[in-house]
Amino acid sequence: MTEALENLERQIDELRAQVRRAATSGDPVRARELRADLRRMEQVWENALAALTAPVVDMGAPAQAGSILPAREQVHQALVLLAVPSAPKLVVSVHTAVFGGDLSSVKLTSLKRDEERSFRSSPHARPYYLCNALTYDRLVPARGLVAVSTWPLARRVVGPLSARVDFLRVGIALAHQVERMSTPTAPVLRLLWQYAANIPDAAPAFDAMQPAVVATAATAELSVHEDADLAHREEAAERARTQLDETHLLFGSSLKVVRRIATDS
Amino acid sequence: MDGIRGPAEPTKHNARTIAALTSNPGCARRRVLDAAGVDKKALAEHLGAPAPFGDSPFALARGNVFESIVKANGAAELIRLLREMLDLSLPEVAYHALDNVAGRESLDTRHRRSVQLLREAARSAEDSGTLFAHPLLRLDVGGRAVYLEPDLIAFQIAGRFHIVEIKSFPVIDRRAEPEKVAAAAIQSAVYVMAMRDFVASLGHDPEIVSHDVVLVCPRDFSNTPTAALIDVRKQLTTLRRQLDRLENLDSILGVLPPGLTLELRPDSTGARTRPVGELDEALKHLEPRYAPECLSVCEMSLRCREESQGRTEALGRSVQEQLGGIEFASEVLSLAAGTRPPSIHEEEAARMLRAAHRLRSQCLGETA
Amino acid sequence: MTTLTALARAHAVESGCAQPITTVRHVHVADRPFACVPLALAGEANAPLAALVGDERERPRLLVVHQPRDRDQRFGFAHRMGQLFQGYIARFPSVVQERVHESTRPVDGPQLWVPNPRSTAFLKLFGRSTRYRSVDGPYPVEETVPRLGRWLTQFVHEAEYPGQSMLLEATTVLTQHWATGQSAVEDAHLPALMAWLLTPDGMNGRAAALAAEDPVTHPPAGPATDPTFDREVLAPAMAAYDAASNPVARRTAKERLESALRGQLAPTWDLVWQAIGLMRQLPPGERVVKRWVRDVRSNQTFYLRLNDGSPPQPKRDGAVAAARRLSRLERTQANYEAQRAFDDPLVMAEHRLAGNAFVGTVVEVEVDRFTGKARRPLIKVRTDDPVSLVSGTVLDPRRERQKAEILEVEQDEDALIISLELAGGMGNKTKEPPPPRSLPTEGEEVCYSALSDEFKRDGDFPSLDETPWTHGGPPVPVRVTNEDVQEDWS
Repeated sequence: MTEALENLERQIDELRAQVRRAATSGDPVRARELRADLRRMEQVWENALAALTAPVVDMGAPAQAGSILPAREQVHQALVLLAVPSAPKLVVSVHTAVFGGDLSSVKLTSLKRDEERSFRSSPHARPYYLCNALTYDRLVPARGLVAVSTWPLARRVVGPLSARVDFLRVGIALAHQVERMSTPTAPVLRLLWQYAANIPDAAPAFDAMQPAVVATAATAELSVHEDADLAHREEAAERARTQLDETHLLFGSSLKVVRRIATDS
Repeated sequence: MDGIRGPAEPTKHNARTIAALTSNPGCARRRVLDAAGVDKKALAEHLGAPAPFGDSPFALARGNVFESIVKANGAAELIRLLREMLDLSLPEVAYHALDNVAGRESLDTRHRRSVQLLREAARSAEDSGTLFAHPLLRLDVGGRAVYLEPDLIAFQIAGRFHIVEIKSFPVIDRRAEPEKVAAAAIQSAVYVMAMRDFVASLGHDPEIVSHDVVLVCPRDFSNTPTAALIDVRKQLTTLRRQLDRLENLDSILGVLPPGLTLELRPDSTGARTRPVGELDEALKHLEPRYAPECLSVCEMSLRCREESQGRTEALGRSVQEQLGGIEFASEVLSLAAGTRPPSIHEEEAARMLRAAHRLRSQCLGETA
Repeated sequence: MTTLTALARAHAVESGCAQPITTVRHVHVADRPFACVPLALAGEANAPLAALVGDERERPRLLVVHQPRDRDQRFGFAHRMGQLFQGYIARFPSVVQERVHESTRPVDGPQLWVPNPRSTAFLKLFGRSTRYRSVDGPYPVEETVPRLGRWLTQFVHEAEYPGQSMLLEATTVLTQHWATGQSAVEDAHLPALMAWLLTPDGMNGRAAALAAEDPVTHPPAGPATDPTFDREVLAPAMAAYDAASNPVARRTAKERLESALRGQLAPTWDLVWQAIGLMRQLPPGERVVKRWVRDVRSNQTFYLRLNDGSPPQPKRDGAVAAARRLSRLERTQANYEAQRAFDDPLVMAEHRLAGNAFVGTVVEVEVDRFTGKARRPLIKVRTDDPVSLVSGTVLDPRRERQKAEILEVEQDEDALIISLELAGGMGNKTKEPPPPRSLPTEGEEVCYSALSDEFKRDGDFPSLDETPWTHGGPPVPVRVTNEDVQEDWS
């Protein structure tokens, strides 16, 4: 049996070498075929090895600490705290830091697809939907942002200043969150520091960071951009209401609008 | 020119390939291949001498991760750096993402959109945007338009545009690998040039695009970005010169046999059917200027190295110089041993070589 | 690149064999060197992926970081490497016990071998990334981690001084002793270089080197891995490891990853030891041991500092330290150049060819020649060398304490006759004739050059505490600060 295994290993090595040669000599078709062979052979090897190995009792994954809420609820929970359209990565790190959850960004992407399907089949059946943010100019889904359907439309439309404005708002929300916690955890503090470090006069150093000061500094900069941003957003939201149906209002429209803009330039 | 390439689409240029044009300006083979838009990688592969370099998927992934960190939250990290380094004023935070929307837009569409926004920015000083991510610019290379996509362009820093180049090599204790900085500088210069051509076409002074490029790299061993200004004036001059030379190939093209082609004749499955022997013949008309440094930049380098076997140039420029510029190793040895009389031009070199030969024999006995 | 080496390369091209460019070895090869072959993950600042390390060729120790972006695993790697390396150093009484050494007696001391300069650069950064780590605080590491960082920094810093043998790079050492028929760019690839030096029977060096450029059969010597290995082997193996959901799957994935990495490292490991073997076969130059003793002493001094609570080496040199360092580099360079030439006629030949040295026959000696009371013998040397010296002081390494002043250079047909006035190294007594063999005699072959291996005192520098404010003032001692610990890792 071990001899068979060694034999297999030799064949696998040989195949691997062939794959690399095919890849460097610019023969993608051959490389693909060989790769498939290789995976098959590796599977055979794995099975053979498993047969040889004494069965190990699988203790199962250790009980996960953290949230028992469904992923959808967890995302909602984090977004309610953030209160602005946010990148999946931020949703995950906020939920992990503040609520001790175990979300993954991959899960989040599939979630959003489910939401759209659910809304299309029976609109408004749920109290809220996880939806897209829209770009102010073309009203298409803004890249990589998740929002909540119950928010005012102007909050879900993003203009050129919105990234900064929303960044400052999250900084403020996190600062307040830290203030509320009796003993803020290291992950929450590190998260806040990512904001504080990029806001003028928010904190001189990680160790000297005070949440109230962070919030004040963020509010000060926010006042510089807030009005202009709101004007953009409201104008675009108004336009969206007249141009889009309710599914598109939540999940954005697609190509059609792109073409229109493209041809009139 | 198109005949040399054959019916294949001209190969796509990017800042890296354009920057590479400056690395061996004396090579006629390369100039013709680049000007004609020949796919050097495919050609080298078909000749059985594939390029001896490539990108690791890990390096590519790392590059993307770092770029997304710099650009996250409306480029919050970058705004901090620009405020610290270039006194970017507080209201200047507008961020326009000009990236491809879900792969649906053509290059032309994206280019038009970029032009529209940047034109606006160049015209009105106020409230027209600060950061433009992945705008699509156009540059004329050898008579053909090439699309280029800088990481970011920043505007409104003392009224000028700055190219922002994001690289994932680290700056450790305020030092980075000089070769990597040099490569980043010349690539950024390509963008500066494209941007200057663009603003000039709008009737503005090209100088409103700064020759100082903002290079953003991770600091120490962290993901925290740090930035430095790099003056690329020298690189701009070199680039401009090379691009002009690409258009000016008449002296080389004039002596090529008519009908010369390097096409690979792919069949319907994509397999290349051109007999290698024919390509060998065709390549003979395009003289290479091989140097060992080609090995890390040019796709054709292994092929050219093969051709320069036995030549002193294959040993490196400094060796060739030390050998008095004699072309072949065998000639070097016969001159050194005194078995062949030197020509008038070789006399000086021969004297040196004979002296070296005498000393070497003295020290090693007859083995030399 | 000198003409002699260039000529040797031309010979190598024509003969298909590597050519010697020295007659002796100019580095010390320790009895028990420690080899380290590191691999790094592409794209990261300094993420170790794997290494083969150890002081026994037959028993390399494989260290693997299964997920290089994981901070704990990275420091686990540093910890294990630190244990092995510090265990190795602890075996040398010359370093860890206080003892004063005779300056010319060979001593046994630690020596680190790596494949190439890139590996040294990797260890330098690895030293930088580990030496400030704290054993307590938010991300505590084992004590071995910062200690390893400081040792690596010590070795890498000392390796910047020419002529040292503390840290040797296989490609560098080999190309200092042999010329191949390829360029320096290709010589940097250890498998191709070794193909020229240990060419398989029935092949010539060029063919063997070409075969050694195939990354599938001859993995690159690192720390960078081959991109197709990354894509086709490493990435899937890592993904499988990350995805493994039960202990069996995890163990299988781990084994596969380890065997893939071992496969990339083992050939280089063998090449490094073959390089060590090749170097051992060469007879050492006479002055090599003197430099080696200095290396061992430096390690001894460093060991004491490590244990007396001194702070880790700074990130950058302060003004005074930088000036001292530069001055030491210049002196070491000059001494090393002289020592190499004195030890090796083939190296001296390079200086002869450049006109800064000459070998010739003594054709005339005037012993009883005085300036005042001092004996100043005059000799005339006839040489065929293309001498460009016209005045100044020269000396012959066989009479290192005797200075010779060039008085006149005359042409004599194809040769030159050089008149030299000698001073020193012939006893002090003016009445009696100089001791036998203290002066060159007629018919003797002599070799004079402008090189000097004289000990030069360190220049005068202020102490660190007295660094003028114009140069930044006294350096602030390095502390392990929270900022370093906070560095969030990529």
